[in-house]
Amino acid sequence: MNLPRQQLLDLKPEQIPSLENFIPGRNRELLGRLKAMARPDSLDAVYLWGPPGCGRSHLLVAVANLAEERRPCLALTAAQVDDGLHLAPGGLLIVDDVHELTDAGQSSLFKTFNAARLTGLSMLMSGPVPPRELQLREDLRTRIGQALIFEIKPLTDEEKSAALQRHALMRGMRMDEGLLQYLLRHGRRDLPSLMNVLDTLDNASLEQQRPPTLPLLREVMQSILELDKE
Amino acid sequence: MSDFWSTCLSHLERELSTQQFNTWIKALKIEDEGESPRRLRLMAPNRFVLQRVRERYLNQIEALSRQYYGEPVNVTLGVLETEPAESKQAETTPGNTIKLGGSNSTAIDNAAYERSRLNPAFTFDTLVTGRANDLARAAAQQVATNPGVSYNPLFVYGGVGLGKTHLLHAIGNTVCANNPQAVVRYLHAEDYVSDVVRAYHQRSFDSFKQSYRSLDLLLIDDIQFFNGKDRTQEEFFYAFNAFVEAKKQIVITCDTYPKDIQGLEDRLISRFDCGLTVQIEPPELEMRVAILKKKAEVSNIEVGDDVAFLIAKNLRSNVRELEGALNRVLAFARFHGNDITIDVAKEALKDVLGATNRQITLDLVQKTVADYYKIKVADMYSHKRTRAIARPRQIAMWIARELTSHSLPEIGEAFGGRDHTTVLHACRTILDLRSRDNLLNNDVHVLMQTIKS
Repeated sequence: MNLPRQQLLDLKPEQIPSLENFIPGRNRELLGRLKAMARPDSLDAVYLWGPPGCGRSHLLVAVANLAEERRPCLALTAAQVDDGLHLAPGGLLIVDDVHELTDAGQSSLFKTFNAARLTGLSMLMSGPVPPRELQLREDLRTRIGQALIFEIKPLTDEEKSAALQRHALMRGMRMDEGLLQYLLRHGRRDLPSLMNVLDTLDNASLEQQRPPTLPLLREVMQSILELDKE
Repeated sequence: MSDFWSTCLSHLERELSTQQFNTWIKALKIEDEGESPRRLRLMAPNRFVLQRVRERYLNQIEALSRQYYGEPVNVTLGVLETEPAESKQAETTPGNTIKLGGSNSTAIDNAAYERSRLNPAFTFDTLVTGRANDLARAAAQQVATNPGVSYNPLFVYGGVGLGKTHLLHAIGNTVCANNPQAVVRYLHAEDYVSDVVRAYHQRSFDSFKQSYRSLDLLLIDDIQFFNGKDRTQEEFFYAFNAFVEAKKQIVITCDTYPKDIQGLEDRLISRFDCGLTVQIEPPELEMRVAILKKKAEVSNIEVGDDVAFLIAKNLRSNVRELEGALNRVLAFARFHGNDITIDVAKEALKDVLGATNRQITLDLVQKTVADYYKIKVADMYSHKRTRAIARPRQIAMWIARELTSHSLPEIGEAFGGRDHTTVLHACRTILDLRSRDNLLNNDVHVLMQTIKS
């Protein structure tokens, strides 16, 4: 069956990371702490860690968005941290992926740590492993280890299913529960990959004008797998 | 000015919780200084309020004043002297003093103290002493009570996070408390390097030298950062000589002993060696426990011996991470409304130690399972179907599915290009067997623990 393919207008529901659209699971304490960091009187230093796909960057951007209007806020990836790290007193510094900091970046973050008390800074950092496994300068690594440390706890399968259902709903997709169960059983276990499968499935379903059924889902998963291999 | 203050008050009242506002902000009194409208002096009822306001709200008040006047206002803080009994102990100037914690409650000049960059929380009282640091502490106290006389320089070395900086601040705070007129400066070696660079660019070496020569006590942290900085070393060499000649005290910290510092001129090393050199060692278990209990006590929280031992056993190398772990336990207990029991501590420490969620790879799973059953790792990919090989392979597939985020096809691929249905079948088989076969269930349990730890 060679039906002409439907051209897609690439419209996606807008997903601005916020603390509200993060599925809390077992991370309620962390979310409460992050919310408080947006307040100008917070002086916390917080480090959060978890494997890729656990939602680190989502949380960091969410805090930056929340804090922006309330206190000076600087959100950087590791590559953006270099010699001159200047933040207004009372500000919030956010650094993602500290394990990728260059030598200059490490020196800069180290200085910021030392100045934080005098200039009233808050610091929010993240990485893939707990501080004691970070490969950084020891004086910087231990300063990160002195912060309040949170592991981002992965979601359970039920929570993932709820998150996927919500994601599908936002795209206007109707997802059969059985389909979701299949996806959870056969797909990768991290949420971004699962959501990517849903997005691809939705696109395929619109392009080919076929409802999102199990055979289509299988095809899509196969094509993603082949794409990954390349 | 008082118009501004009432605007500021109503703003903060909206911004802060009632409790915060009533405790910290409402208690502040504005001191009228008629002749200079761009200066605001706030008086706190005691030093606790003063410290809190300085740490938490001063920036906000400054920002508000900037908004209100369109230019920065110089906001200073002081303590209202209301207890004449206490002021007998020391000469105080009302409104311009803060008191240091601990037994030395001598008043010191606020602005001068600010310039010293000292942290008032780091005193000898808050420093836990044990075999690892008692010599360093004794030397530091000696220097603090007789600056410039006993050992000059005092050179303290030791690993990262063992309390060298705490010791420097404690010396500074004691000197300030004993002699409010003393000009003290704490700085990190990198800041000294930056100062030299700035003086170089601005051709302002005279004022640079002047600013350091006016000091009575110089506390310089992490001197190893002078590595390869020739101009800095030259400047420091002259400053050092001038200091010692004038019988002014220098205290230096470093991560190693003088002769071992990389990239440092010999003449500096020999200067560093001519005072007293003391080492701080990593704290032993009992001392780590004592440190934890002291830190908890400062936060007015009691931590049992069992919990303190648990934390101290897991974090050995430095005090900073010890403190981070304690903070995590305290925050966890507070959030969940629990007492600080050993179970609560174990749960909270998972975030710090990450023992449950190491980066587990398919490789690791295959190797561990192969080792356990004494088969070859290659058998994990082979097509042999004998039970002695197929069963461990199935177990490895199941563990891979449980402990990694790989999909069934990815796991199949890693096990010799098998189909994802084979992996699914393996998972179902193991799940079923675990409920019926105790021996196998135990094997799987042991393997999971091995891989996770």
